[in-house]
Amino acid sequence: MNPFKNIFGLFLAPKNKAVPLFKRALNYLLVCVLIIVVFWASLSVLSINFSFGFLNLYKTRILDGFILTVQLSLVSLIISLLLGTLVAVGQRSRILPIRYLCDVYVKIIRGTPLIVQIYLFFYIIGTAWGIKNRFIAGVLILSIFEAAYIAEIIRGSFLSLDKTQLEAANSLGFTRRQALRYVVLPQMIARTLPALTGQFANVIKDSSLLSIIAVIEMTQTMREISATTFQLFESYILLGALYLCLTLPITFVSRLFEERFNYAPKT
Amino acid sequence: MQLRKKVRRGFLIATLTTTLTILGAGLLSACSNPANNGTGNSQQVGAERKTLTVAMELAYPPFETKDEAGNPAGLSVDLITEFANAYNYDVVIENTAWDGLIPSLQTELADCVISSMTITEERAEQVDFSDPYAVAQLALLVNSNSGISSIDDLNQEGRSIAVKTGSTGDVYATKNIPRATIVRLADESACVTEVVQGKVDAFTYDQLTIYRNQLNNPETTAAVFIPFQDPEHWGIAVHKGNSELLAELNEFITTSKTDGTFDVLTEKHLPSEKATFDELGFRWFFDFS
Repeated sequence: MNPFKNIFGLFLAPKNKAVPLFKRALNYLLVCVLIIVVFWASLSVLSINFSFGFLNLYKTRILDGFILTVQLSLVSLIISLLLGTLVAVGQRSRILPIRYLCDVYVKIIRGTPLIVQIYLFFYIIGTAWGIKNRFIAGVLILSIFEAAYIAEIIRGSFLSLDKTQLEAANSLGFTRRQALRYVVLPQMIARTLPALTGQFANVIKDSSLLSIIAVIEMTQTMREISATTFQLFESYILLGALYLCLTLPITFVSRLFEERFNYAPKT
Repeated sequence: MQLRKKVRRGFLIATLTTTLTILGAGLLSACSNPANNGTGNSQQVGAERKTLTVAMELAYPPFETKDEAGNPAGLSVDLITEFANAYNYDVVIENTAWDGLIPSLQTELADCVISSMTITEERAEQVDFSDPYAVAQLALLVNSNSGISSIDDLNQEGRSIAVKTGSTGDVYATKNIPRATIVRLADESACVTEVVQGKVDAFTYDQLTIYRNQLNNPETTAAVFIPFQDPEHWGIAVHKGNSELLAELNEFITTSKTDGTFDVLTEKHLPSEKATFDELGFRWFFDFS
């Protein structure tokens, strides 16, 4: 017996087959250790010493920021889902001004950085229309931004549906509504749900940019704290960890949905 | 079968080697001196000339700014260049966001910071400061309709004040204006916009910035030029314990205060401001008498 064969076997797995739990744990651990070693080595090159003690002082503020980030993201997700669906439908409208409006909207939003939209919306549109509350302005900006991406997800999955299915439904005597209800929707849900869940992680990360208009969410809280304590690295490491706490479970759920709905035939 | 396994093992080894090489290269480049990527004149003239990496936020004209060609310019740039010429250094200027200035000293990415930075106790715990080379005082830019004419007017429930995150205005407001809501923003222009649009009642920053922004927005804003606090002293910051550089800087600052260096710099960068300050009876930046 070749002893190396067994050792190498611990790190190898065939494609398209579930990896045993032990192997999975071992290899994830290996990856984590690798990341930590690289990070730690970089730190020792720079000779930085960490002290996280000061964070205890700011517990309540950090928690408040965390909660605000969750609230911002949740409300924005709901609004952007509604708006995104409307826009996706609008892009297929028979009324041309609506179709082109939706099209231009998606192009402008996806073609410009969020930071530009935040400044212009808050200081021009927001001021002109009397949106003074920073939270509300933040939610609106974020919703409008994310809705363009959600519209594209929905449009993309609709386009991936096989046209013959609609023809078949039609020939079987389905009405437009029935075809939508029994043929289109189930497949759309299966196809968009994993991507939409993943988009929620994006909403959470994008909400950090609202710090530039002083919405005191997680990032702004950390910026304020590091400005007074000068513990820039500690603050941002904690910030990164907190975002991971929110986004990792979402990525996990998204992956679950992907597996759960995998039965949908691929076109 | 045997061949396939060999191929696969070879592939694994190749992958591992590549990964390790990339990691190693990454570490090496992290070790190499990042100052070489900076702007400015970094060519080696003689062996005895050392490189002086200076971090500043080039966003505060006329002290730290950029000329039309995008090169670092301003009073602070001239000052540190004169220092470098006198003490045989080659200056490399690193344009660094305000939040990153002190960390750049802590990580030794920069040798010193000259960025109109006020010497405060909190900052002095992290870095060492030179003797003061300038004095400044805070002022308020208020919205014309706010009816504010003093700090006491502002220190009320329902009032709000914009500050630049981490500036001395931020420190001052946090300590002395506890009843008002403090809105912390990343840059000065956002703070000014908030005042102009009436989103906040006031913005506190140094007198010069307030004076200039009031000139730009004569109808919507008013300036409150009452020196309501002790003067702030600006210093050059160095890595904690770098006493050699600190001694040179202090020597240079002491000479400059007497030999007219600051008069020349004022004449070059701030002639009209000097006239206005004299007229209003404000203390000038380099008035240490």
